[in-house]
Amino acid sequence: MKDQQIPIIQIRNCLLVSIQTELHDRLALDLQESLMERVRITDARGVILDVSAVEVIDSYITRILNDIGKSVRFMGAECYIVGIRPAVAMTLIEMGVELDSVNTALSLDLALEKLELLQS
Amino acid sequence: MKTVENEIGAILAGTISAITQRSIFNRLGPLAAMPVSQLSNSDRTTVMTELESSVRLFARRNSAELIASCARALGAETAAAPAPAHGAPAAAPASSPNGAAAAGASPSKRLPIEQEKDIATARLEAWSEAVRIGLSKFTSVKVATAVSELARNIVFYAGRGSVELRAVRDDKGPALRIVAADQGPGIDPAKLAEIWAGTYKSQRGMGKGLVAVKKLVDEFQLDTAPGRGTTVTCMFRGER
Repeated sequence: MKDQQIPIIQIRNCLLVSIQTELHDRLALDLQESLMERVRITDARGVILDVSAVEVIDSYITRILNDIGKSVRFMGAECYIVGIRPAVAMTLIEMGVELDSVNTALSLDLALEKLELLQS
Repeated sequence: MKTVENEIGAILAGTISAITQRSIFNRLGPLAAMPVSQLSNSDRTTVMTELESSVRLFARRNSAELIASCARALGAETAAAPAPAHGAPAAAPASSPNGAAAAGASPSKRLPIEQEKDIATARLEAWSEAVRIGLSKFTSVKVATAVSELARNIVFYAGRGSVELRAVRDDKGPALRIVAADQGPGIDPAKLAEIWAGTYKSQRGMGKGLVAVKKLVDEFQLDTAPGRGTTVTCMFRGER
């Protein structure tokens, strides 16, 4: 558990990250850094973050997601968040917290579809 | 040598998310890392009591089967083998009267918050308490989110503090009171004004946490001053 890392999977020219663990400061920064590096190396057009295993998203996690979205955008790729649970979405709305630096899609399939459309 | 975490993790995989499992194991403390073969009977009871309530709460289906599998994996039925003389079968409390019978005076739960992993524990604890007292599923997620914000503020700004959960019941139905307290630096009035105005941004980009909590809860009270620490008291009610 000491030096855990979140795996980044490449599907064609997209990078997929499934968040299955508690995102704390160090881990989030590491993820952001390695994502940037991978976008650069692989020339990825899109980054998809699957948060379907995340049961609670607070303003801190939102900021992390937005930061990742922003940096991915700076690199010229698009970032998609998929799998936000209904209760999480409603809570975010009530809190008045915006996920405005990322795109969202209902599922991984739909995100891939949207990204593919972007490229043609 | 398989630990409690290995065994139980394998059973819960696919039904309970890794994040929630992590919090459940955190709650078990050192017991989670113990080899199953070295558990004492009372350890086994502790683990099973904890697992029963967590599995009921978080498994979307088959919770009874999962609990039974957990009991088997922990060797509940073989437990009597090494010391058969001891009459009392060491079986886990597979049929302990949980949940429904949990009525009566509900004492408050005080959770120390000292490091990042305590945030997850507090969140899960608050979530299960909310479900237990009868708040809706959606409200329970709001409770967990608010506690997450409050606990995070404690860890980031004060270093240490506590979150207290207390179930209260009035004529309007069940409610959960949350008190997050620390002896940290406190917030000065000018900064506080900026926080409420939404213009404050700390180095960590936070400052939104308190605003978010205030919007989520039904009642909110903040007591803070420089050098005097910060106490946030808030209340969640069931849906009207």
